[in-house]
Amino acid sequence: MNESNPTPPLPPVIPAAARKPGDDPAEQVPIQNGIAAIEAILRQPRRVMYQLRQPGAGKLIAVMLFIAVACSIVYGLVAGTFTGGTQLWAAPVKIATGLMISALICLPSLYIFTCLSGSQARLVEVFGLLAGLLMLMTILLVGFAPVAWIFSQSTESLAWMGTLHLVFWFIATLFGLRFLKAGFAHTNAKSQAGLNTWIIIFLLVALQMTAALRPIIGKSDKLLPTEKKFFVSHWLDCVFPPEAKPKSGV
Amino acid sequence: MPTAIAQPDFRETSQLLRGDAESIAGWMERWDNRRLVKQLAMIVAGAGLYGAAMGWWRDPQQAWYVAIKFPLIILLTTGGNALINGMLAPLLGLNIPFRQSFSAILMSFVIASAILGAFSPLMAFMVWNAPPISDATIHSATYGFIKLANVAVIAFAGFTGNARLFQLLTRLGGNRTVALRVLLAWLAINLFLGSQLSWVLRPFIGLPGLPVQFLRDNAFQGNFYENVFHTFRQIFFGFD
Repeated sequence: MNESNPTPPLPPVIPAAARKPGDDPAEQVPIQNGIAAIEAILRQPRRVMYQLRQPGAGKLIAVMLFIAVACSIVYGLVAGTFTGGTQLWAAPVKIATGLMISALICLPSLYIFTCLSGSQARLVEVFGLLAGLLMLMTILLVGFAPVAWIFSQSTESLAWMGTLHLVFWFIATLFGLRFLKAGFAHTNAKSQAGLNTWIIIFLLVALQMTAALRPIIGKSDKLLPTEKKFFVSHWLDCVFPPEAKPKSGV
Repeated sequence: MPTAIAQPDFRETSQLLRGDAESIAGWMERWDNRRLVKQLAMIVAGAGLYGAAMGWWRDPQQAWYVAIKFPLIILLTTGGNALINGMLAPLLGLNIPFRQSFSAILMSFVIASAILGAFSPLMAFMVWNAPPISDATIHSATYGFIKLANVAVIAFAGFTGNARLFQLLTRLGGNRTVALRVLLAWLAINLFLGSQLSWVLRPFIGLPGLPVQFLRDNAFQGNFYENVFHTFRQIFFGFD
C-alpha cells in the first residue's frame, strides 16, 4: 500500500495579476457589438485588452469611441439642463468635443512614454487602451447622470454644480485610468514612471479644456470665451465672482 | 511600379524609443538610404511641428519660420559635426567606422525629434490657452510658464536621446567608460555648435516689440559665447 501521497497534487495557483489577457478562454471571445464592449470593460477588462492585440482591433476601437461620444453627449445633455436654452445642445457638444480633443492631444505623448518604458505595445493597442479609458469614463458619467440631474434641478448654485460635475468626472477618470494602467502593465513595460507622468499631463489638459470651452454649465452671450484663462483662475472666478470678492483688509 | 517614397514606420520608431540596442546595432551594420530618408523625415516632422507650436504664440508666420529653423538646427549640427565626431570616437577608444558614428548621432536626434513631435499638440494647446503675446504678457507668469515648459520638454527630449545613445555606444564598444567618454565629447561638440546655430537662427518665440523675422538683422554679428560673456560682465562687474 502506498501511503506517501494519497491526494493528487494541485495545480499551482496563479495570481490574477500574473495572468496575461487571453489566458482565460472566456477572454478570447470576440467582442461583437457595443453592448458586449460595455459589458466587457465593466466585467472582463482583460477581454478588451486581449482583443486590442488581435487583428481587426480597429473595429473595437471605433465602437469604443462611438460609445464614448454617445455617453458624453448624454451626460452633456444632463449638464446642460442646469441652465437650459442654448446650453442644452452646447454642453453636450462641448463635453464630447473636449474629451475627444484632450485624448487626441495626449495620444502622441502616451505612445512615446509607452515606448520609452520599454513596452512592446503597438500604436493601435495604445490607442485602444486610451479609447477604453474614454469609454469606461463616460459610461460611469452616464451612471452618475441621474444624480447630477436631480441636483441640477434643485440648486441654482453654479459653484456647487461645477464642483459636483468635477467630482463625478474625477471618480470616472480614476476608474478609466485604472483600466489604462492595467492594460499598460501587460505590455512588458519596465517602468510605470512614464505613464504616471502622462496621467498628470492628461488630467491637466482635460481640466484646462473646461476653461477653454467655458461655459459648460453657466450662462454666456458667446459660445466660446474670448478671454484666455488658466483653469484654476476660472474656477476661482466662479466660486468668488470678481464683483463679490471682498476688498483687501475686510 | 514600386515607389521609393519613405513611409512612416512606427515599428522602427518604437524600437528606437525603447532603446532596442540589438535592433539598432543591426541597422548600423550597413548603410541604408531608405532608413536615412525616414530618419531625416522624422526629424523634419517632429522638430518642425514642435517649432511651429512654439512660434505660433508670437504669430502664425513665426510658426512657419520656427518650423523650418528648429529641424535646421538639428540637421546642421549633425552634419557640421559629423566629421569631428567620427574622428573623436576611435581616438577616445570606440573603434567604429564613420558611418556608424554618424548613424548613432542621427538616431539620438531622431528620438529627440519624435518626443518633440509628440509633445507638439500639448504645446499648441498651451499656447492656444495663453493670452496673446504682448509687452504685458512677457512680464506675466504665463510667459514664464510657457518658457519653462519649453525648456522642460526640450531637456527631456535631449536627455532621452542621449540616454539611448549611451546605451547604444555601450553596446557597440562593450565598455561603459569608453561609451561615456565618447558621449561627453560628442555632447560638448554638439552643444558648442548647436548653441551658436540657435543664436544665429533666433528668434524662436520672439518679442512683441520686435518684428516677425526669419533671421534678426544682426544675426551674423557677434556670437552666442560673446553674448554670454557680455551678460556675465554686466551682472558681476556692472559694465558691458
